Amino acid sequence: MLDSFLPAWPPQIDPLATVAFALLLATLAGEIAHRFLALPRITGYSLAGLFFGPAFLGWIGVREFAGMRLLIDLVLALLLFEIGIRVNLRWFRANPMILISSLLESLLAFAGVFAVLHLALGVAVEIALVVAAVSMATSPAVVMTLTGQLKARGQVTDRLMVLTALNVTYAILASKLVLAFIHRSYGNDWYIALFHPVYQLSGSLLVAYFLAKGFQWLRRYFDPAREPSSLLLFLLLLMVLALLQMLRLPALLAPLLAGVLVRHLDPRPHVWPLHFGSIGGVMVILLFVMIGASLTWSHVGLGGVLALILIVVRGGGKMLGVVLPAKAAGLSLRQSVALGIGLLPMSGVAFILTTDLGQLFPALNDELRAIVMSMIFVLELLGPILLQRSLIWVGEIEKGGKRGT
Amino acid sequence: MGLEPFSQSRSLSLGVELELQIVSSHDFDLTNASADLLRDIEGRDFPGEIKPEITSSMIELSTGICADYRDVLSQLTQLRDVLVASAGRMNVMLCGGGTHPFQHWGDQRISDAPRYQYISDIYGYLAKQFTVFGQHVHVGCSGPDEALCLSHCLSRYVPHCIVLAAASPFVQGFDTGFNSARINSVAAFPMSGRLPFVETWGDFGHYFERMTKTGVVKSMKDFYWDIRPKPEYGTIEVRVMDTPLTIARAAELAAFIQAVARWFLVERPFRPSEDDYLVYTFNRFQAARFGLAGQYVDPHTHERRLLQDELRLTLDRIEQHAAELHATEALQALRRVVTQGNDADWIRDLWRRERSLPEVVRQQCLRWGEG
Repeated sequence: MLDSFLPAWPPQIDPLATVAFALLLATLAGEIAHRFLALPRITGYSLAGLFFGPAFLGWIGVREFAGMRLLIDLVLALLLFEIGIRVNLRWFRANPMILISSLLESLLAFAGVFAVLHLALGVAVEIALVVAAVSMATSPAVVMTLTGQLKARGQVTDRLMVLTALNVTYAILASKLVLAFIHRSYGNDWYIALFHPVYQLSGSLLVAYFLAKGFQWLRRYFDPAREPSSLLLFLLLLMVLALLQMLRLPALLAPLLAGVLVRHLDPRPHVWPLHFGSIGGVMVILLFVMIGASLTWSHVGLGGVLALILIVVRGGGKMLGVVLPAKAAGLSLRQSVALGIGLLPMSGVAFILTTDLGQLFPALNDELRAIVMSMIFVLELLGPILLQRSLIWVGEIEKGGKRGT
Repeated sequence: MGLEPFSQSRSLSLGVELELQIVSSHDFDLTNASADLLRDIEGRDFPGEIKPEITSSMIELSTGICADYRDVLSQLTQLRDVLVASAGRMNVMLCGGGTHPFQHWGDQRISDAPRYQYISDIYGYLAKQFTVFGQHVHVGCSGPDEALCLSHCLSRYVPHCIVLAAASPFVQGFDTGFNSARINSVAAFPMSGRLPFVETWGDFGHYFERMTKTGVVKSMKDFYWDIRPKPEYGTIEVRVMDTPLTIARAAELAAFIQAVARWFLVERPFRPSEDDYLVYTFNRFQAARFGLAGQYVDPHTHERRLLQDELRLTLDRIEQHAAELHATEALQALRRVVTQGNDADWIRDLWRRERSLPEVVRQQCLRWGEG
C-alpha cells in the first residue's frame, strides 16, 4: 500500500519540474553572462532556452509553450504597458522629428524586407507582407529588460523606447491590415476583410481606455512603487487579457495603448520597480527561455540564409531612418548610429504576431515561421549584445555598470 | 600662475550665474543630458552664456553684464526660454533648487572637460557629492580695494542671502531638517570658507603668493570661498545662494545684493572689521539650518534676533537704494518671502501634501518653466 503515498519509481518527470529547473538554469546562465562575460543577461536566458529546446536537449517544446501562452501574453502585456508609459505625446509636439524618424525607419524596414522577399525572390505576396509587417517591430522585451537591468539613461535610451513603442504599434496595425488583405485573397467576403481590422483596432482602443482609467483609479489609493500593491497591476492586466480573449481582440495592442494613455492623462511620475518587482522579473526570464526554446533546426535550414539577408536589409532601413533625420531631431551622429543598432533586436512581439497569423492561415505557416524564427534566432542573440555595446559607446550605461552595493 | 591684475568694471553692475538640474521627464531623477542641450542650443540667439558643469546632469546659465534688476530679469527670461524649449525637444526637464531631493551621488557622471576630470581626480567622491546647484551673483567694483571692502561688508549679509534663496531641504531621499543643505556640501572642500581679512590688494597679493608657494592652490579658481574677488571680471562673486525655484527669485536676490552694496558705497554705514567674522559661521549655520526662524547675532552690537526680523530691518534700510536701482518690485517680493516662507518651505509643504519626491521635482520643473 506504500504506493498510495510514495511517488512512483523511477519518479515521473513532471512538466512543472522541467520548467522550474530550466528557469533556474537560465537565470544562472544570465548571471554568468553578466558577471563573467560582460554580456547582457538576456543573452544567457535565450541561449539557455535554445539549449533546452528541441534544437538540443528537447526538454521543452511547442507543447509547453502552448501551455504557457497566457503567461507569455501576460509578460508581454506588462512590458508593453511599461514601454507605453515611456511615450510622452507632448514630446512629439516639441520635437516632431521624432515622429518623422519613427515613420521613416519603420517604412524603410518594411519596404526593404518586402522588396527583397517579393520583388527579388518571388516569395508569395502574403508571406512577404506578413514578414515585412512583423519586421518593423523592435523587441520591447529586449529594450525594456536590458535598459532596466543596466540602468541606462539618456537620449538614445529614451528614443529607443519611444521608437520601439511606435514601431510595435505599426507592426500590430500593419499585420492586421495584411490580415484583411489575406482574407480577400482567400475569397472571404469583403466586409469581413474590412470589418476585422476595424473591430480589432477600435476594440483595443476601448479596452485600453478602460485599463488606463482602472489603473488611474487604483493609483489614487495605492502606490505602485511599493511591491505588494504592484501586484494589483498584474491582476488588472490578467483580467484585461481575459477580457481581450473573450472579445477576440489582440492581446498586445491594448496594454501598449493603455500605457500611453495613462502617461498622457496623468502627468505625475509613474515610477515603480523594474517589471513591477520580482514576479515580473521571473516572467521576463520565462519569456526569453520560451522563445529561445521554440527554435528548431528545420527552421534554420529553411529560412537561414534568407533571414540573414533580411536582417541586413531591415537593419539598413532602420539605421537610415534614424541617421538621416538625426541632426534635425537633435541627435549627434554617434547617438543616431547607436539608436539604429538599438532598434535591431527582434523577439517576443514578432514571434506572437507570426504565430497568430500562422494559426489563422495554416497554409502560410511553415515558410513564414521558418523565415521569422530564423531572424528572431539571430537577432535575439546578437541584438542585446549590440544594444549593450552601443549604449556603452554613447555613455548611457556605465562600463562597469554596477554600484558598490 | 600668479595673481592676475584686477580688471576694470562698472561699479554695481551685475552678473548672475545659475546652476540648473536636468531631470528625466519619466522618473524625475537627474539625467545626463547637458551635452545634448548644448548641442541643441548651438546657433540660437541669447544673451550671456550657457555652459556645462561638473556632472553631466547639471547645466549653467549666466547673464552678460547687467545694469539692474530689470536687466537681469529680462536676460534670465531669455536664457530660461531658450533652455526650456531645448529641454522640450530632448524630453528632459529643468528645475531650480539647491539639491536634487533623491538622486544618488554615485550615479552621477563627471563631464568630459579636462578641468572637471582634474577636479574629480583630486577630490574623488567629493566631486560627485558636489552635485549641488547654486546661484552666484557678481557685483562690479571700480577697483580691487573696493572689491575687498565690499566682500567684507557683504559677509554680514551672507545669512540673509542664504535664507532668501534656500531651496534644498532634501538630500539623497531624506529631509535634512536644513533650509539649505547644499551649503554643507561646500564645507567638505579644503579651500572653502571665507576670504582672509585683508583690506588692500597688495596684502591680498602677499596672501595669494604664500598660498601658491605651499602648492595647495594654483589659481583663484581653487578657492571655494562664500564671497571671492574675481580679478578676471573686476567683480566680487557671492556664492552662498541655492539656485532658487524661479528666475524671478534669482533676479530678486541679485537686486537685494546690489541694493545692499549700493547702501555700503553711498552711506558707508560701517567699517568692516576682523571681528565681524566672530559670529560669521554661527549666523551662517542658523540661516542654513532654520531659515527664517534662525537666530542672527548682530556682528556689531551682538544683539540677537530672529533672522525674519533682521531681514525686515535690512529690507527697510535698503529700500531707498533699491528704488534708485529700479528694484522696488523685487524688494516687495522679498518681503513676501519673509512673511510667507522661502522655497525650502514651499518644497516641504509640497512634500507633506504629495508624499512623493518625484512629484515634488515635477512641480519644481513646472515652476521653473513658468516663474
